[in-house]
Amino acid sequence: MFTFIIRRVLYSIPVILVASFVLFWAVRSTFDPLAKLRQAQDPTAVAREIERLGLDRSILEQYFLWLRSFVTGDWGTSSRTGSPVLQLIGEALWPTIQLAFWGLLVAVIVAGLVSVYSAVRRYSLGDNLLTGAAYLGIAMPAFWFGLILIQTFAVWPKQQFGLAEPPLYFIGLHSPGQDGFDLDYIRHLVLPVAALMIALVATWSRFGRAAMLDAMSSDYVRTARAKGVPRRQIIWRHAVRNSLAPFVTVVALDAAVLIGGLVVTEQIFAIPGMGRLFLDSLVAGDVFVLLPWMIVVAIAVVICNLLADIGYALLDPRVRLR
Amino acid sequence: MSGAGLAGSEELLAEQDVQQGSGRQLLQRFLKHRLALTSLIVLLLLMIVCFGADWVAPYPQGQQDLLLGPTPPSAEHLLGTDELGRDFLSEILYAGRISLAIGLFVALLSTLVGTTLGALAGYLGGWVGELLMRITDLFLIVPAIALLAVIVQGLGPSPVTIVFALTALGWTYIARVVRAQVLSLREKDFIDAARGIGASNLRIIIAHLLPNLAGVLAVGMSLAVASAIIAESTLSFLGFGVQSPQTSWGSMLSQAAGYVGTPQVYLLYFPGLFILVTVLAVNFIGDGLRDALDPQGKHL
Amino acid sequence: MQRSQVSQPQRRRLVRAAAVLIATLTVAAVSACSATSVKPTDTPNASVTDGGELVIGAEQEPDCADWIATCAGSIWGSYIMQVPTMPVAFETRLVDDVWTPVASDLLSEEPEAVMQGDKQVITYRLNPEAVWSDGTSITSADFAYTAKQIRDSDDIFDKTGYTGIESIETPDPQTAIVTLGSSYAGWRSLFSVYGVLPAHLLEGNDRAAIMKDGYDFSGGPWKIESWNRGTSVTLVPNENYWGEKPHLDKVTFMFLPDTAAAFQALKSGQVDALYPSAQLDALKQIEAGLPGISSSIDARSGNLEALWFNNSVAPFDSKAVRTAIAYSLDRDAIVKRLFGELGIDSAQQSFNTPIVGAFGSDDFSEYTIDLDQVDEIMTEDGWKRNADGVWAKDGETASFTLETLAGNKRRDLTVQVIQSQLQEAGFEMDIKSVTPADLFGTIAPEGDFQAGLWAIVDTFPEPTLSASFSSTNIPSEANGYSGINFFRADIPELDGLLAQVDNELDQDARVAASVEADHVIAEEVPSIPIDTVPNVLLWSQKVGGPLSINPVEGPFWNLAAWGLAG
Repeated sequence: MFTFIIRRVLYSIPVILVASFVLFWAVRSTFDPLAKLRQAQDPTAVAREIERLGLDRSILEQYFLWLRSFVTGDWGTSSRTGSPVLQLIGEALWPTIQLAFWGLLVAVIVAGLVSVYSAVRRYSLGDNLLTGAAYLGIAMPAFWFGLILIQTFAVWPKQQFGLAEPPLYFIGLHSPGQDGFDLDYIRHLVLPVAALMIALVATWSRFGRAAMLDAMSSDYVRTARAKGVPRRQIIWRHAVRNSLAPFVTVVALDAAVLIGGLVVTEQIFAIPGMGRLFLDSLVAGDVFVLLPWMIVVAIAVVICNLLADIGYALLDPRVRLR
Repeated sequence: MSGAGLAGSEELLAEQDVQQGSGRQLLQRFLKHRLALTSLIVLLLLMIVCFGADWVAPYPQGQQDLLLGPTPPSAEHLLGTDELGRDFLSEILYAGRISLAIGLFVALLSTLVGTTLGALAGYLGGWVGELLMRITDLFLIVPAIALLAVIVQGLGPSPVTIVFALTALGWTYIARVVRAQVLSLREKDFIDAARGIGASNLRIIIAHLLPNLAGVLAVGMSLAVASAIIAESTLSFLGFGVQSPQTSWGSMLSQAAGYVGTPQVYLLYFPGLFILVTVLAVNFIGDGLRDALDPQGKHL
Repeated sequence: MQRSQVSQPQRRRLVRAAAVLIATLTVAAVSACSATSVKPTDTPNASVTDGGELVIGAEQEPDCADWIATCAGSIWGSYIMQVPTMPVAFETRLVDDVWTPVASDLLSEEPEAVMQGDKQVITYRLNPEAVWSDGTSITSADFAYTAKQIRDSDDIFDKTGYTGIESIETPDPQTAIVTLGSSYAGWRSLFSVYGVLPAHLLEGNDRAAIMKDGYDFSGGPWKIESWNRGTSVTLVPNENYWGEKPHLDKVTFMFLPDTAAAFQALKSGQVDALYPSAQLDALKQIEAGLPGISSSIDARSGNLEALWFNNSVAPFDSKAVRTAIAYSLDRDAIVKRLFGELGIDSAQQSFNTPIVGAFGSDDFSEYTIDLDQVDEIMTEDGWKRNADGVWAKDGETASFTLETLAGNKRRDLTVQVIQSQLQEAGFEMDIKSVTPADLFGTIAPEGDFQAGLWAIVDTFPEPTLSASFSSTNIPSEANGYSGINFFRADIPELDGLLAQVDNELDQDARVAASVEADHVIAEEVPSIPIDTVPNVLLWSQKVGGPLSINPVEGPFWNLAAWGLAG
């Protein structure tokens, strides 16, 4: 097991390096790192920056120059705010991690339950409604859900019932002056997490349902049923357990896809996370933030993949032997 | 782009027993699925009215009535009018041209590229296969939305660049799935038999492998169409999608986002409805195709 | 488990489809409920209690709080942090219904500006009671430090006016004597637009590092308690402020980048006030009715949108074409379409915005839609309509490309309306979206465009038309390509008049010259003003006080007088 993990980690490193070069090249070709500086009309400053960033050298040299400072923790300064990039990304990571964590957790639980229910009660009204909802979830973009959720669950109840406050909040993760894990936090989380996870639950539950059906129609389950093992045991102990492996893999890999939903959700719910940082930097052409941002996200995805592989290996011993 | 990273499904799909059927048998099975058939008709209808909007739309494109402004659905304007007083139904049909085109082209192109590369990687194996897998890993790692935004920013936001950007990110899923399928098929008897009688690699790929991929491809393509339409609308919401004066359903959605809670909210719902119907239709067709090609129906 | 071939899957799918449709319609029904109509401008509840907190929605987060640096370009930084904390020489107030610079209570009397030979000498006398939040007096040393920082540092946002400062004498702490190398009629903007910086805290230190992420000193009624990047800025009262102390204990500005969510926040009580930009959906939200929300609307803003012609390229090098286009547009209809709900229905008739009040005239009002005039002017200039109905002459058609900034739906609407109006009059217009960086960094300075639609913003009640209209400001090698006369207006008599406006210290003479300049501009039509973007302030019943819009200082200019409605 240990060697498995080490092998996977070592394998990830060259992938990240190549990815970083591709990103570096893409970003440098698209954006002019000196755009903001040029507007200030200070020719010496422009020349200084060209020297510092090595913009007059080949792209490969520039890359290594950048890589060296990146690895030593010098991520430069944002051209938009003047703050250190490391600080900006660090501050933005925490809210995003919270949102992603809760989003994934709830999505996995809900998708899992929905899958089991749908598979067990196949063709029932419940199954049909849920699958119908899944299609809706796949068809509509996250911002559509976000706004509808806000209107339906926060604004309308307050106005309709004349409440002093909306039942659920939708700005940021805490009310001003509050912190920590409390009711206020939960009331802030419900709507953004819901908006985020709808598409995920929709896809995963379709998939999980199929995996469950597969498992339930397999030989050993039929044998167990013939032997008279109680239905509940069959469902949970056998079918679910065996559909868990592919389910976990899918979940972990879709985590990478989560990012698109995160950007939009953070925008609507005013959460100061990585998504917002990306948008602000993109609009301002702030190359100095964009590049480290992408690397950080790529590394996060690699970690997720790694966890997925480990999880898969734990659940399915055959994989370890490959 | 939800659903693009279902690598675990490769294993699952690779284990399925694919039934070979003759062309006519496939058609018969498909036609038995009334819902898939209906969806096909609906989709064709949508494509006709949208691509033929010049003839079908009740009003010419872009005919404004400044003083009218946005009005709710009425007898003259079946879906109401938009901010410029243009007939909303006509605008939706014209926008549909771009949305459907983007969705279908992305699905087609990414399937094409993905199938080719995936089949090659799976069949040839060895270092070619490994290299391809590493490249797809690369694409999976890079945050999709970021790369999309950067590409569109760099090349300029037009439907063509959007198709290019979405294809560049979309082919990886199909490639992985195809490769896994090909890997499992490679060892099967009928392939050995074909090799035994001296069939060339290319012939094996085209005549024997590809037909067996059809089920997988059907699912992949339908997912790809949905993802493409949604990705385009998300890009528009963030400001990087189709730019005015061109419109797509996605950009209409994003432009109308601010009308939630106002009487003009229909500006948000109608494009959404069209997207929904398209995605549903495509998914049902995909279901039908998959059932026709794999009547044991173990999946989804 | 075999799945039966026909009926069950079909039925299940039909139910699925129906379920989806029902769900969608239900959601639609719930969301479409609207409320009562709204009056265009409400009077605020004047009585307030002491104490309490308010949360206000802010559309944009400033990039930095180092006000004189280039990173501080965002107007919201000015609204929520600069105006409440920085002392200024002149404030902008309504005098006889005209926005005028008025000496603030930082000064003990109106400063005098006199010419001594070629040079202009301004004497400022400070209020001895004026103190910083740490108790230190605000002195002439602060004036001297501020002026030198702006004049001599790199990376300054806009040095206009400060570059002419030759010297500052500080004979005593309450007197500052500023000498300018030549006459500068807009001198009231000095120490007003940026404010005055505390020399005792910043001299010899890294000013940018101290200020850019928020600072804890203040010379105004409020202090910045905290700035949580991405989330909010919190202000608390400055106990040492020598003027009117705030009623509220705390004001928090929350950053809400999404307009739809911002309105929902106002409706749900999560924020108590909002100052939304006049976008189409925002206006519809207001029209749809915001129960319990009051509003104040002011069309007299400094944000002017105009149709800019590049006078040095075809077809706009021809005055006939420019004039004909002026008669092709129904600008009132455009404005009515954009802001009709707010009760605004007339176009902007001068390049001087309403905040420079008396300096502007309304000469462009003669250009109303008159297609017969268009025909007459164009035919006289030798144009003829071709088969497509577009004017053509010598093988060239009257077609051009309009550059516009993406991402502004209201502007998209404006542009499309213009396009269709021009089409009817025989002009063919193509629309091209560009980013601000490209437009103002490359395209406009290089003159690589035919026409454009963008806004110019006045930030102080002093006329600055020369910056845009004087031929010396056409970007060229001589000025290092830093001029902003992008549309290359080159009208000799105009240069002289605008110079007078800039340099003539006699206010009446200035006004006369400015009005005359307006005549000339309207006569030559180097470009066409369309509309000024109105300002809208919304607040809930929780908020009391003399709320009103100040187009220069923002809606929170009198935040100290706000409170919880009593």
